[in-house]
Amino acid sequence: MTADLRLAWHLVRGSDRHEWWRIALTGVGALLASALALGAVVLGALRGHHPIPVADGLLDNPGERAGVVAALLLLLIPVLGFVGQSARLGAVHRDRRLAGLRLAGATPWQVRRIAAAETGLACLAGSAVATLACVVLMVRVGDHPSVWAWAGIAVVAVGVPVAGTLTGVLALRRVVASPLGTVRRARPRTRPGLMFFGAVALFLGALFVSYLSLDRRPGTVPTGPMLVVSGLALAGAAALWLVGATSRLTGRLLAARTGNPAVLIAAERLRDDPWAAARTHAAVLLVTVVGTGFVGVRQTLLEVLHSGKQVAEDLSFYTTGLDLTAAAIGVGLAITLAGLAVGTAESLATRRRTLAAQAAAGVPHAVLGRALLLETALPLAPGVLLAGLGGAAIGTGYASLTEGGGWSMPWAALLVPVAVYAASLLAAATALPLLRRSVRPAELRYA
Amino acid sequence: MIAMSTRHILLGLLASGPSHGYDLKRRHDARFPQARPLAYGQVYTTLQRLVRDGLAEVEGTDSDGGPERTVYRTTDEGARELSRWAGETAPPAPFVTNEIFAKVVVSILGGGDPAAYLRAQRAAHMERMRELTAVKTAKGADLATVLSADYALNHLDADLRWMDTTAARLTTLTAEVDAA
Amino acid sequence: MNNAATGEPLLAARDLVKTHGRTSALRGASLDLRAGEILAVTGASGSGKSTLLHCLAGIVRPDRGSVTYDGQRLDRLPEKRLSELRRTDFGVVFQFGQLIPELTALDNVALPLMLAGTPRSRAHERAGEWLERFGVRGQEELRPGEMSGGQAQRTALARALVTDPKVVFADEPTGALDSLAGEQVMTALAHTARESGTAVLLITHDARTAAYADREASLHDGTVVAEDAALEVTR
Repeated sequence: MTADLRLAWHLVRGSDRHEWWRIALTGVGALLASALALGAVVLGALRGHHPIPVADGLLDNPGERAGVVAALLLLLIPVLGFVGQSARLGAVHRDRRLAGLRLAGATPWQVRRIAAAETGLACLAGSAVATLACVVLMVRVGDHPSVWAWAGIAVVAVGVPVAGTLTGVLALRRVVASPLGTVRRARPRTRPGLMFFGAVALFLGALFVSYLSLDRRPGTVPTGPMLVVSGLALAGAAALWLVGATSRLTGRLLAARTGNPAVLIAAERLRDDPWAAARTHAAVLLVTVVGTGFVGVRQTLLEVLHSGKQVAEDLSFYTTGLDLTAAAIGVGLAITLAGLAVGTAESLATRRRTLAAQAAAGVPHAVLGRALLLETALPLAPGVLLAGLGGAAIGTGYASLTEGGGWSMPWAALLVPVAVYAASLLAAATALPLLRRSVRPAELRYA
Repeated sequence: MIAMSTRHILLGLLASGPSHGYDLKRRHDARFPQARPLAYGQVYTTLQRLVRDGLAEVEGTDSDGGPERTVYRTTDEGARELSRWAGETAPPAPFVTNEIFAKVVVSILGGGDPAAYLRAQRAAHMERMRELTAVKTAKGADLATVLSADYALNHLDADLRWMDTTAARLTTLTAEVDAA
Repeated sequence: MNNAATGEPLLAARDLVKTHGRTSALRGASLDLRAGEILAVTGASGSGKSTLLHCLAGIVRPDRGSVTYDGQRLDRLPEKRLSELRRTDFGVVFQFGQLIPELTALDNVALPLMLAGTPRSRAHERAGEWLERFGVRGQEELRPGEMSGGQAQRTALARALVTDPKVVFADEPTGALDSLAGEQVMTALAHTARESGTAVLLITHDARTAAYADREASLHDGTVVAEDAALEVTR
């Protein structure tokens, strides 16, 4: 084992910058995931009324706490998307390297251990930082957490690195099965397989079961959260399918007709591999639905609150709740956009030699840059439009169903899809400086 | 060595039907474009030896309006000898007469400049390779021309590679030759 | 063509110096390329062949020295202008990787024309003619990954020549091919260049490939050590 660890360390040290980016971003993803899970665990372990000196009393009572826990757990979805995207950074090079090890005589398990060591250690670093911060924070607040809370913290601190390691091992199944195939294959097919859907189903199931176990009102089934989770799962699957299908369709339609070189390149890439960006794009669509719906609901709720009816608590109790939800959606959007930026950078990095050859042949940087942005812009446009309409339907539905009626329609919500679309393009555009660096002549001759 | 293969090549040309000496020479030069052209004298002496050994015989004479020519044809013995020879492997260059290597060694012994010699030889080889390439890429070049040019090109290329590695190891070779 | 008559080189490099980090790739290399000639640049690996090609094609700027093309100093032109020049006056063929893997052979060849604003249908027509000329007929809808190495390189030649360039830069164009496919690629390149009067700068370490050229320049440690002016260009 120590020999494998030493080999893993030497391999990583001798590799290029992309590998370091992957390890660093994996660590950051593990940190985020641990932080969210820890928050959920600590809050979930509280019993009954328990005054907490933050968030205007929103966390004091079990009912609202359950909602916050659910929100924290849901935020894990974009984080996992981000980690998935980060794990692909420079993965082609890593796979080739490990396949080379296999060809040189390493056993499948040795290769798995080496890869697992890399991912696992990065995740361990991330979760350690998050756990330490969590413990320090709890001691500072002066609260005395229950045994359950400590147990949960320990489970998260160990569970995140273990999960990361397992994912690392799983991701290598192709390399381990056929080292030659990986060395020769130019680009991996990225169509999500049974494995992916299985993992998503498992994750949602685990989420739901852990949520149920936190709820300590025996006999009652919390239909609200169940509806939200299953609705989101359904919307997520639909979004994933929608992105893949529209990518292929727009690719095929445009590739046959366009006279514009940038559009042609982007369209043929979409047609060739419509699933390449499906994960991050699906997350963008989910955030759009939730965001648009939330803005609509929020407007109606605020109107209700200010009209002075049906208010049981202090006004700030409700507004803090809304603000916290908005912040959670904002965090989700930010993480999704980060995943999008990482994915775009990855797509540039893996084909830098082709790009360098195009630049050498006189294809202007502007055309290559436009093609890169169009790869994000083209498939996302119809999806975001649909997601925005869906979100708006939620908002208007809520407004029309709310007691009293006559609440104004939430037109402002329609700005959300536009903003998300613009932000996605900006996130993809952050990879453009990398394009300039990628097209160096040094890339021209060596693979 | 040359006489030996000329015998068999003439037998081969006769295998497609009786022919006279001038015609055989013409067909030989057309069929083997990069080979040294046959001299008439060589054709006639070889034909006479084939007849003496019973591998060919005189069919008759043919004047066809011009000077009278003797027409030869192959015998059964000749056909057997031809198929034996054609199926036999050629010895893979048992004794290569390496004039270039000899010149390099002599140049070292005589205190000359072997590197300059190798450079000049390299240029001469490249020059010949360019000529052969021009011949084979000319419009209308037939496959026989292309293949025989390729044969020569590959041999010259082998010489060139040998010269390149030798040029890179001249210091060691000089020390070795001087010490001996 | 006129340049050949006056003896003025089409493309001239003078005392080029270029270092990559701590290793110097070129240390004072000079070279002339005349219009319509095929010039082979040979030398061992690491002798600076590719760097010389990159400097001459305006892909990289030399640290010192000058590159003159058709009366313009390439080393002083802005990147935008260089890029345009590479698109219109130059064509490039590398060992591999110059075709976009997602585009069909036809679209790959048509791309330079489309970049110049030619409508796609017209560009496809021209591209089809070039592919046919290089014997890649019936493979127009294949993508580079679905072709043999020789077909892909001949498609790359078609792409390099489709804009009727003045100079084609070929960096080990047969390096990844077996000898028969290599012969076909070189024959296609030499024929077309001679017919259209295109100059070719051919980088190779293989003497049989170099023999397709009219002249050979040998590079050693970043300088040109020998130039064999050989056959007259009129053949």
